[in-house]
Amino acid sequence: MIAPSEVPSVPVLEVRHLAKRFGGLWALRDVSFSVSEGEILGVIGPNGAGKSTLVNLITGHARPTTGQVLIGGQDVTGQRPWVIAHDRVARTFQIVKPFRGLTVRENVAIGAMHGNERDRSVRDSLATADELLDLVGIAKHANAAPMQLSVADARRLELAKALATRPRLLLIDEVMAGLRHHEIESAVELIHRLRDAGITVVAVEHVMKAIVSVSDRILVLHHGSILTLGSPREVLSDPRVIEAYLGHRYVKRRSE
Amino acid sequence: MADILRGRARSRQGLFVGWIRALTPANSWPALAGLLVFAAMLALQQLIEPGTQRLLTSVFLFVALAQAWNIIGGYTGYASFGQVAFFGLGAYTVAVLMNNYHVSFWAALPLAVLVGVVFAVAIGLPLLRLRGHYFAIATLGAAEGAREVINNLTSVTGGGGGITIPTFGSDAPTPYFGKPGFYLAFLVLAAVSVVVAAVLARSRFGYAMVAVHEDEDAAGAVGINTTVVKVVAFGVSAAIVACAGAFYAFQQIEFYPTDVFDASFTVLMVIMVMIGGSGSVVGPLAGAVGLQLLSQFLRVNLGNFNQLIFGAIIVLVVVFFPQGVVTYLRDAWRTRHFSILDNVRRYRL
Repeated sequence: MIAPSEVPSVPVLEVRHLAKRFGGLWALRDVSFSVSEGEILGVIGPNGAGKSTLVNLITGHARPTTGQVLIGGQDVTGQRPWVIAHDRVARTFQIVKPFRGLTVRENVAIGAMHGNERDRSVRDSLATADELLDLVGIAKHANAAPMQLSVADARRLELAKALATRPRLLLIDEVMAGLRHHEIESAVELIHRLRDAGITVVAVEHVMKAIVSVSDRILVLHHGSILTLGSPREVLSDPRVIEAYLGHRYVKRRSE
Repeated sequence: MADILRGRARSRQGLFVGWIRALTPANSWPALAGLLVFAAMLALQQLIEPGTQRLLTSVFLFVALAQAWNIIGGYTGYASFGQVAFFGLGAYTVAVLMNNYHVSFWAALPLAVLVGVVFAVAIGLPLLRLRGHYFAIATLGAAEGAREVINNLTSVTGGGGGITIPTFGSDAPTPYFGKPGFYLAFLVLAAVSVVVAAVLARSRFGYAMVAVHEDEDAAGAVGINTTVVKVVAFGVSAAIVACAGAFYAFQQIEFYPTDVFDASFTVLMVIMVMIGGSGSVVGPLAGAVGLQLLSQFLRVNLGNFNQLIFGAIIVLVVVFFPQGVVTYLRDAWRTRHFSILDNVRRYRL
């Protein structure tokens, strides 16, 4: 995506030597990378690789043990989540976190009330929510309770809630896990549309196939460290990635 | 599509113009109904005997207290068991200022509210980091602490010997309101608390309170400063309670720390909100009116066992309508599904 001839600009997101320790366990260790504007970065890794921890550290839902997080060149390490949100960074949660007492429409409207480029009134925010529900494809559930939504629709709601804050950088934490084939296709299409609208996307995924088709670059985490970072093709052909994902027996069997 | 992701065009229209234009017969009936009830209560005062007037005055007091508790305990989800602290501090601020410094009631009232809010912010900043039972116990402790401070500041507050507000002759900084005056005062207080709660609930801040209640991580992620929301909600609640305490002090004339720091005030606030239904404006209103009238009815008609029956009724209501009576009726009406057993199953199992 980024040609060498392009003028180097400040990356939307830069992570420097980020590390997080939970007791005696390093969930993340010396992770450094940057994401350019308009890029879609896929983050993959087996369970427990530190993917969600990485998102939490970036959005202020956890404090890094060491290292720095820079948004648009500004150090935001250790800032609270709402400060990060007001820096135009939005996220979804792997385990969806809808506001259960509110309707689907109201859930989305809250982001338009409290994020960036806030609407003038609650009514405007509700109108914004309707447009975003249409965008993610769950407009018909606007008046439903979020607990009535299917898994796929609940993920879409998470996405609409995040988009309502008008982010420049969107971190999505496993929106495709557990989705059916055609649902994944529409999710991939949606991510491309968001990028076309000028949003930089970091997509954490467990589903390898989906992430490969959507990402410009892919970062592979394993045991809290970066295993490799490169184009989807490079990453897919890396034997270390195959081993991390499928075990060394699979690699051995294939080479036999 | 890209436009909505960047924010919508802002109209130059003023906020209030937008509000008024947004009014339709369908969404302005609660305000009209509220006005009607208020007017009816004003008219009613001329018709009823002093005993009934006193009863309704206490109903108004609890309407205000229940609305206040609902802001922090219902909407924001932080069940405070120390709200009586603000009541007692409001009461003592008024009494000390009127008795020791001959300050008029109307000058003392805003100071009482201020003392309540300052105390709320002071204990809220550390305590609102706690959740669930821990917050409940910590606020309970803070209220006990506040009472002990008042109890031991004998030189200022009179300590355990109580305090008296001068109300007659030239000693009185403000002439006593009398029964009709306090009926009006508490009616206005109740009305103001209902309006404050209703306006808050429909505002951005109201949505922020609900978001904090549901999930603080998710609330932070959409840009809500959860610390500010919690402290402000606690402060608004404290302001109403302190105001109620101030009027109550003047009405009582003479009282002791154990009267105005009585934890049963807090318990009643909680019960009224839970019975009516938390997180709505009508729930606490109905809970306060219903329980206060029921309690009086039982006291008059049942003699010795009235408290036992009162408690039993509360238990039954909580068992069968765990979400509150008003919330049950609203949901049942919407879904046309009135089975009480199904309701119990839905919330218990």
